[in-house]
Amino acid sequence: MSQLLFKNRRPNHTVLLDEYRQNGGYQGLEKALRELQPAQIRDEVKASGLRGRGGAGFSTGLKWSFFPFDAPGDKYLVCNGDEMEPGTFKDRALLEADPHQLVEGMVLSAYALNITTGYIFLRYAYDQCYANLQRAIAEAKQAGLLGRNILGSDFSFELHVHRSAGRYICGEETALLNGLEGKRPNPRSKPPFPAIKGLFAKPTVLNNIETLANIPHIVNGGAQWFSDLALTEEGAGTKLYGLAGHLNNRGCVELPMGVTIGELVEEHGGGVWQGRKFKACLPGGASTPYLTAAHLDVAMDYVPLEAVKTRLGTGGLVVFDDQTCMVAATLNLMRFFARESCGWCTPCRDGLPMVCWVLEKIESGQGTVDDVAMLRELLGHINGRSFCALALGAMGPVDGLLRLFEEEVLDHVKKGRCPLPRNSSLKES
Amino acid sequence: MPTLIIDNQSVTVPEGTNVLEAAQQLGIVVPHFCYHEALGAVGACRLCAMLFIDGPVKGMQMSCMVEAKDGMVVSTEAPEAVAYRGQVIEWLMLNHPHDCPVCDEGGECQLQDMTVASGHSVRRYTGKKRTYLNQDLGPFIHHEMNRCIQCYRCVRTYQDYCGGTDYGVLGSNQRLYFGRFQDGPLESPFAGNLIDLCPTGVLTNKPYRFTSRFWDLQEAPSVCPHCSLGCATIPGARFRELQRVRSGNNPEINGCFICDRGRFGYDYVNHSDRPRTPLLHGEEIPWNEALETLLQRLTKLIECHGSDSIALLGSGRASLEANYLLQRLSEQLGSAAPVYGSHAGRDRAARAATTLPTELSASLADVRNSDLILLTGADPLAEGPMLALAIRQAVRNGGRVMICDPRPVELPCSTEYLACQPQELLQLLSALSLGETLPTKLQPLVEALQLAQRPVLIGGGDLLGAEGTTALLAAAQKLNSEDRSCLAMVLLPEANSFGAALLAADGPDFEQLLADMASGRIKALVCLEADPLTDCPDRQQLLQGLEQLDFLAVFDHLPSLIAAKADLLLPTTALAEGAGTLINNEGRMQAFAPVFSPGQPLRITSQGNHPPRSFSTTTPGALPCQAWALLAKLCDLPVDLAKIRRELATQEPRLAGLPDLLAEGSGQRIQSADKPLSQPHALITEQVDALQLLACETLYGSEVLSAHSSPLDPVRPQPYLLLHELDADRLGIAAGDLVRLSAGEIQLTLPAQLSDRMAAGVVIVPHLRRTELESFYPGQPSQPCRVEKVSAL
Repeated sequence: MSQLLFKNRRPNHTVLLDEYRQNGGYQGLEKALRELQPAQIRDEVKASGLRGRGGAGFSTGLKWSFFPFDAPGDKYLVCNGDEMEPGTFKDRALLEADPHQLVEGMVLSAYALNITTGYIFLRYAYDQCYANLQRAIAEAKQAGLLGRNILGSDFSFELHVHRSAGRYICGEETALLNGLEGKRPNPRSKPPFPAIKGLFAKPTVLNNIETLANIPHIVNGGAQWFSDLALTEEGAGTKLYGLAGHLNNRGCVELPMGVTIGELVEEHGGGVWQGRKFKACLPGGASTPYLTAAHLDVAMDYVPLEAVKTRLGTGGLVVFDDQTCMVAATLNLMRFFARESCGWCTPCRDGLPMVCWVLEKIESGQGTVDDVAMLRELLGHINGRSFCALALGAMGPVDGLLRLFEEEVLDHVKKGRCPLPRNSSLKES
Repeated sequence: MPTLIIDNQSVTVPEGTNVLEAAQQLGIVVPHFCYHEALGAVGACRLCAMLFIDGPVKGMQMSCMVEAKDGMVVSTEAPEAVAYRGQVIEWLMLNHPHDCPVCDEGGECQLQDMTVASGHSVRRYTGKKRTYLNQDLGPFIHHEMNRCIQCYRCVRTYQDYCGGTDYGVLGSNQRLYFGRFQDGPLESPFAGNLIDLCPTGVLTNKPYRFTSRFWDLQEAPSVCPHCSLGCATIPGARFRELQRVRSGNNPEINGCFICDRGRFGYDYVNHSDRPRTPLLHGEEIPWNEALETLLQRLTKLIECHGSDSIALLGSGRASLEANYLLQRLSEQLGSAAPVYGSHAGRDRAARAATTLPTELSASLADVRNSDLILLTGADPLAEGPMLALAIRQAVRNGGRVMICDPRPVELPCSTEYLACQPQELLQLLSALSLGETLPTKLQPLVEALQLAQRPVLIGGGDLLGAEGTTALLAAAQKLNSEDRSCLAMVLLPEANSFGAALLAADGPDFEQLLADMASGRIKALVCLEADPLTDCPDRQQLLQGLEQLDFLAVFDHLPSLIAAKADLLLPTTALAEGAGTLINNEGRMQAFAPVFSPGQPLRITSQGNHPPRSFSTTTPGALPCQAWALLAKLCDLPVDLAKIRRELATQEPRLAGLPDLLAEGSGQRIQSADKPLSQPHALITEQVDALQLLACETLYGSEVLSAHSSPLDPVRPQPYLLLHELDADRLGIAAGDLVRLSAGEIQLTLPAQLSDRMAAGVVIVPHLRRTELESFYPGQPSQPCRVEKVSAL
């Protein structure tokens, strides 16, 4: 199985510059600066079918095509490294193993987009990643791979790392830009989109760590090769999948795009823990609607997952065993989202705590049929009507709960208690 | 101009209008919180949802975030939109306490209105509500965070619009906190606007707290009397007491905002020492006797000493109509034309300001829209606070501000400061008006003026004087061309200084009157809402002159020094108790309506009893009359404001629009004078070696009406003296040291403050009424002075 991003990954080991170069690192950059025009790289990325790995899955090539690369004045490349989605740790795994991929990816992207300044906005808690990046940047600078006149060419690129103050909302691209500017990280109104008016009101491209780390591989291997790596027709490349929850083996693996959920659970996750059965999963982090055992043969790719009303998200698969109370699991997730709302718009700031309150009521056996109806009403009122996508994502689990586990919810109401015997790990307030 | 259909009604709106505004134009009220006409739309509250049925966007949208486009078909009453708005209100009300009965906002609470409008009536949430500790935000604003619905209007008002930095939003999610890092008075002089902008009872008026319900207040559209800008206000009165002032909305002047001096300066109306009965030598007399006595005494003196033995003194505090009738009285008596203003320098500067052609006169709206503002000798925060806010809006729109001033003029926005001596200001303006080259240090100014498309030159009458004011106007005219307009604005001392100066025309000024009084020629002086004893810089000479009078009559509503000396005291109404017209500093006539009838406040007559009952068939203290009505009676004219206005409009063609003026609306500019602007001459001033003493207005404490307002007591500055750091170094003075100031015959000991952002060689003292600095009056040439250290801090 081909490994791109985790090619050099070994346990408890961080790849330094020499090792990275020995294994083909920075060859893409050398090739690009030697023989490729920026437009060729942009075309190649567009043709590769690469979609954003941060959660929304927007086509990277298309995003780049909106960017006014020939506009005069400052333009910025910002790497969104605020990986705060519960169940997601792929960017951390990548940076802990092989940070130079991101550096090379950013230099290449900046070259393709005619940008001279880049920022990596890194999650607050990622100390090791921060140290790795600092070292990688210093090494790259020393080797002339970053900074002024990279590899003797006319192209210069400065790269800075900024550590987030540690809120989930900072992963929202416009909130991230506000945070990077030193302001309160409330999202901005779109349009104007960051490509036109982003960081410091200048044209800005924002991409996820994994997305940018894929760029050297596309430049090296070509669009067709990259696209063919996927198992699905419409997919492209490989994906870093997170395995979390009630599995025997938890961790992060790189597999071709489009591997099925069943394969991930059984072959790579070692099956559901404690000999229990698979009940449900979040396919791509906490903000994606649930899937059930009926969906084990669904491919983990953007389009197939959308067909079953959920999303690939970040590819962080979280598995729940058959003893899990889905109301309690949803409540646990909702508490996170309610806490992480920035407080800007009403549906998110006040709607999510109200959802928590209804779920608490139901879970504690105090719920009524009206409460379930209220929950459904709240879902309709919050979805798509908040200022940014946080509340939309937050309601993903509630959407899944009401679509796939309605009986279990009503069972709470009928019995006047949680019908599942033991689910203590999710029940502390 | 897009045309769209909202609720089956077609409406055409200007480009860039959002759909919520378009609906408002049709009179359709859609609940909203975060949108405000002055602050714009931010899409935070999600309350203004409408269903977009057809056009470029479809589905449920927040109408404030959608720009109106051709072909849009929108429904505000679609069931899903109504249901969603109800849901948003339910969310906003989750934590809102049910304390409306004890909340000051009750009855004028937008949250109450919007909750009722959205149909939300039952709270399904039965959990705990979140609570907060409140902060002490100083003497003006009461904080009650539990009521907050997180609309962010306060932050957008305080930080974005007003430029304050000490109040903001803290925390996140449902635990947002709108406040300061720690308790303490709000620093912005525009903080009071938080009261108007907060849609519920989080930020309420502290001096007005628990005083009245909105529906019990008597309110009327009015004009602020606390500086020459003429902001629109809505005073509210109850129990014969003016209880509060909120901002009106005049898009040409203040928009929706007023300054704290205007908001909290109202209490002079309720002053316990205010003259309320006609007094002859301290004895109460009835009104008819008082007026008869006045006429008899004046006629008698004229018989004995001739018609030039009578002097009439009008003022910039009195209404245009009253000042005009003073003129009529002088004609009737055959005496000299009235003098307008007890400060000749200020009077002359105001008269110079009235010569500006209307088309070159800048309104505050013009200032907000300007791309270069040049301040020469104008200190907006002291002399016209809302001008500072207008300048900030210009800067927010990308404009530039350059300040040439000897004082450390501070504004709530970024500025470029060039320290200039007072005489350098005159040279600068005269050079600009004559197209001469400026000294090198002013080169940035020349370049900025060349680039600017909509420059506005702003000057202060006090520092520029008549000569400088004339030069400023001429400079604007010189820089004005067909390609780009250059406007001018002059700050004047009082609300009707412009109107009084217009009536004064070529008449005598106070210096001539002083000379005539000193010579003993003047036997009687009639003061109309004027107090020469506090406003005339030459107090010694005035006191000597007053000694020689046979008769002193004073019309006033302030317990002024001259009122205390009057032989005959005729109590008049305050602005809020009557009707009339003021002309602001740009030449805009604005009518004000009576808010309430005069009377001793119930708070005083009930002597603290509660409920404040008093049993009497007459209203105590209700005798003050409108000055114009008294003067009309004296002139034997009908007591009819409309007739007086018509007559005045025929007499003075520049006031042609006066009869059509309404108390509501944005007022009306006067007509331009038909004579050309007078041309300034090149100024040559000699170098001054000694320290020059300059007295300056301050935000609180200088203006006469607000000086009598107790809510402002906590913020009035203490006397101080301001020196340039270089001068202080030379004199061995450190910040905080006590220094002795000697100027002329006056010697004072004051604490020193130092600045490096002012002209060297200048010593600045604030003009603070009712302190030892009262006698240092702005609006006259700086005088040489000496400063010595007395003791260290």
